[in-house]
Amino acid sequence: MADTDSAAATPTEAAVSTNEDLGAITRKTMWEIYEPHVLGIGFIVLVLLLWEALPFFVTFSKGMQLFFTTPSAIGIKLYEMFSTGMIWPALRFSSTAFSIGLGLSVIVALPLGVILGRSQTLNAMFDPFVTAFNATPRLVFLPIFLVWFGIGMNTVVLIVFIGAVFPLLINTYAGVRNADRLLINVARSFGANEWEINKLVVLPNSMPFIVAGLRLAIGRAILGIVVAEFFGGSTEGVGVLMVDAAGKFHVDIVFAGLILFMAMSLVMTSGVKILENRLTRWRPQNVKTF
Amino acid sequence: MTGGGEEMKGNAAFDEFWYKNGRWIMGAVAVIGFFLAWEALLTWLIPLNQFVMSKPSLIFDGLWQDVLNGNLASDLVVSAKPFLFGFIAAIIVGIFVGTMMGWRLRVGYTLDPMMTALYASPLVAIAPLVIIAFGVGVSGKAILIFVLCVFPFVFNTYAGVKSVDQLLVNVVRSMGGSSTDIYFKVLIPSVLPYIVAGARYAIGRALVGILVGEFYAATAGIGYKIAWYSDMFELSRMFGYIFVMMVIAVVFTEGIRWAERTAFPWRTGM
Repeated sequence: MADTDSAAATPTEAAVSTNEDLGAITRKTMWEIYEPHVLGIGFIVLVLLLWEALPFFVTFSKGMQLFFTTPSAIGIKLYEMFSTGMIWPALRFSSTAFSIGLGLSVIVALPLGVILGRSQTLNAMFDPFVTAFNATPRLVFLPIFLVWFGIGMNTVVLIVFIGAVFPLLINTYAGVRNADRLLINVARSFGANEWEINKLVVLPNSMPFIVAGLRLAIGRAILGIVVAEFFGGSTEGVGVLMVDAAGKFHVDIVFAGLILFMAMSLVMTSGVKILENRLTRWRPQNVKTF
Repeated sequence: MTGGGEEMKGNAAFDEFWYKNGRWIMGAVAVIGFFLAWEALLTWLIPLNQFVMSKPSLIFDGLWQDVLNGNLASDLVVSAKPFLFGFIAAIIVGIFVGTMMGWRLRVGYTLDPMMTALYASPLVAIAPLVIIAFGVGVSGKAILIFVLCVFPFVFNTYAGVKSVDQLLVNVVRSMGGSSTDIYFKVLIPSVLPYIVAGARYAIGRALVGILVGEFYAATAGIGYKIAWYSDMFELSRMFGYIFVMMVIAVVFTEGIRWAERTAFPWRTGM
């Protein structure tokens, strides 16, 4: 930070000051609208091109060549994996473990979150456990799960489950606590029982929190899949494919796997976004994001 | 009558005490109850199979032996080294990149999509490559931890710098404040809470990094010992190390949360 003036400039001010034609301040030019996308995507393309071109400028030692691959090689590998069909069993295994684990965590976290949000005593008693398990990397339990459940789907599902359940639980609980007391009292005055209150007032009110929790949970679930498959949780799956490839210096397969996981989390996250829009349609726009 | 009054007063005092301390007392009761139930269950109800399960008395006994013979301390030192290197590098680089992104509009535009993509992807997946390329020593794990931790710092510093209130800067300047005043009275107080919140996310990722690094390849360290004891079917020792890991994780995250509450009381729950 050489001078404070620029350091303090907020984005809007910087945007205005770059615009020379003062008359056009209110109306954005074409370039101003597209600039962020052009710069952002352009940079990614540039990085990929530089990466691709690197072997032409630098000659690697024999050892370094083992660890080097280019984006085109990764893309070709990815295409090959799909066209030869070798990826399908692994992908099926990983996505099945992912879906079961995430589904279980939703089934457990939603009711438990509502209970913990509505009962002070239970909340106080569960809090130390939730805090401790949420703070600890869930990978730490992999060895004991391997002892208990053996190598295979069960262990991977369980790792995904304990990864995803806590963010979801904490957010559900926070959302329930955040529900409007007034609405709850109104519903109760009109003779709603506890079940109806939860269904009609508490759950819809905590939906934004739950969706935010779901988004976190997806990230954790993917992480769970990766680590569980890496460390002997199973003998098949995309993670296993990657570890094997890394051991044999097939760097392109490792990156291809990374891209698959990235795509998986991207698809799931956009799915959640659609779900969010669907579930919070009734809400006024300004409270949709909090 | 006076007796009744006394009792009322006693009740009120108790209520106040309970209001203030009830939460953690109930929490403590639950934790202690959990351990007692675990111990009792495996002592009287279910015959203990040491290859499948352990019980608290054995776990703490084993842990105490690891403390006494210095194994625990040396493992902690081994794990702490890459953690510190990677984390400090992540702080420096992350704050620098985040500041640039927030400070210069076009840098923000340029780097944001790429950083978001990298932050969203499960970067642990490159762990095998990093470890194979940089070795099983400190450097491989430090790089892995750096890669995992740098993004929370980048994004939180970015958000913090963007959130600086231009009005406050102008006020300080109109009142005749120097640039030092602007730094210390406006910029740092508004950005620091974001960075500390980023540190809280980063710590969790760093712990994952340590475990991944040491599970994958190591000769000592907390994560290595957990995997090793489980391979040896010494479950009591393994649980001891898992507890240590949990305590470290809780102390770090809750410590940062506490620091956030104490230092920046106006910004909690970020």
